[in-house]
Amino acid sequence: MNLSEVTERISQKLEAKGAQPDRQKIESRLHRLIEEFGVNAAEAERTVTADLAREHNVTGVGNTSTELRPISEIVPGEWVTIEGKIVALTPPVSPSIAQTGIIADSSGAMRFVTWTRANAPAMEYGHWYRIESAVVDEYKGAPNLKIHSGTTISQMERDAPLLPSITPIAELKPGVGSVRAKVIQDWEVTHDRMLQTGLLGDETGTIKFVIWKEENKDKLDLDAVYNIFYATVDEYNGRLSLALNTAMYITDEGDIEVGRSETEARGALVHVAPGSGLIKRCPVEGCNRTLSRQNYCPVHEIQPEFRYDLRIKAVLDDGVRARNVLMQRDIVETLAGITLEEAIQIAETNPLGMDEIFYRIRNAVLGRYYTCSGNEFGGRLLVNSCTPVTFEPAELAALLNRAGGEAA
Amino acid sequence: MKPQSAFEREPARRVFASELRETRYQFKDGEDEKSPTYVILPSGIRSNRIFIVGTLTEKQRQGDQNIYYRGRVVDPTGTFFIMAGSYQPEAMQQLARIEPPAFVAVVGKPSLYTTPDGACLVSVRVESISVVDRETRDLWVLDTARETLDRLDAFGTTEDSKKAQEEYGTRPELYRKIVYDALSQVQL
Repeated sequence: MNLSEVTERISQKLEAKGAQPDRQKIESRLHRLIEEFGVNAAEAERTVTADLAREHNVTGVGNTSTELRPISEIVPGEWVTIEGKIVALTPPVSPSIAQTGIIADSSGAMRFVTWTRANAPAMEYGHWYRIESAVVDEYKGAPNLKIHSGTTISQMERDAPLLPSITPIAELKPGVGSVRAKVIQDWEVTHDRMLQTGLLGDETGTIKFVIWKEENKDKLDLDAVYNIFYATVDEYNGRLSLALNTAMYITDEGDIEVGRSETEARGALVHVAPGSGLIKRCPVEGCNRTLSRQNYCPVHEIQPEFRYDLRIKAVLDDGVRARNVLMQRDIVETLAGITLEEAIQIAETNPLGMDEIFYRIRNAVLGRYYTCSGNEFGGRLLVNSCTPVTFEPAELAALLNRAGGEAA
Repeated sequence: MKPQSAFEREPARRVFASELRETRYQFKDGEDEKSPTYVILPSGIRSNRIFIVGTLTEKQRQGDQNIYYRGRVVDPTGTFFIMAGSYQPEAMQQLARIEPPAFVAVVGKPSLYTTPDGACLVSVRVESISVVDRETRDLWVLDTARETLDRLDAFGTTEDSKKAQEEYGTRPELYRKIVYDALSQVQL
């Protein structure tokens, strides 16, 4: 029995409450109880903790950490005792970390980290453990369980089946989450270490997902529905994404009607920005950047074999808020009444060239009312559909009532 | 100065000509040279940009060295005076091409002038102007009516409307009447 660990644990608990216990005193009391009076270690720890708490006039020591808590109710800053199953182990990112992964109980799941200095026994995947006196803090916006030198870990003889509770995508929070979702987009990977990335959706919304390259990790099939248990929910720039490396995913029967969490905005198009109209794009696969007039791509330099595209960068203003909107080719063609082929033809024969297309498109849309819906990304509305607002006599009648109702 | 990421473009307020004509109070938000200048509209909101749609009835080229264009845009309640000078070359050329009468949509900045004989004039410095159709004009009247009523409903509860009360002694029922009259001129 190593008493210094127990001593450390007790003093940390008291220090957390603002007391300054004498470690030697703790150790000698423990020693006395265990060695001389044959009290078992757990009981000795409890007794000494309670005694010292009284002496230092602090309350709530011991109770807070020995009382069993459901994982979903734990908030950062608490000392806790939990019982849970190791549902994922991830490779430690630093030598000072012995183990990282996810521990779950029936209420929820949480990431954990075991410090190398804690000298804690390694936990095994799929087993249940009781973890006493661990600390929960916040890491990257998500609660994170820290196993330190004062934490007691004991393996439990238990293998209760654990059914994770599914969270709707719209309600996911940073941390750990399980979803039932459909793969609606499969994007090109942007990194060597990335196995797959794309968009998952359920009835409530959509979320980006990533699977990093790792042994035994499979790709998801496009348009298939999966139950994804214990994925890591990360937050970056205010947007959430799911990392599936900690997760277990199994295909599910059935289909999901994916809810598009689209933003709709109605207003007048008060500004058409430079860079609208006919543009040239870099032909290098996966690049697609806009070229300058001299066909220069910021990454791939001069690209004479560019391809043409149409777009509108504009401001849609409802009188209260001005929003940046970006419209793609098909929408521009409809709104401006000009096809890409016609635009190219005009640009190549007209002395004003591409400017002519800019003016034509600007004159067609500037100052007119539209309803745009799409996804908001980086302070800009990526428009999926855009329709001109039409005059509704009912609206006029309602406004007349509103203006006249109280005037008399 | 706000950081670049927090930059938000000023919305273009909807205002009828007869309300803009009454505007007298102008202030600068901040001490900086580049701080935006606002007017307080009598219905109780600050504005440094407006959006108007009406009929361009007249335009004139003026000045010898510094050419600028002036125009009159008419809505159901009155007339807006617009101008575009060589500091807004795009807007000036847009305006130069338009032959009145025509329905136009104008985005611009309201500014106050005092004439030599002491009268105060409000004119709109054009940022952009384009030809639109009658339906857009009608939509604008509805839009402006709605926004004006929204401001009147909130009158007395916001800082800007308290300032308007102080400066103009605004009587909300008068503006409701203006809104009603404007709407009455829209043909079903």
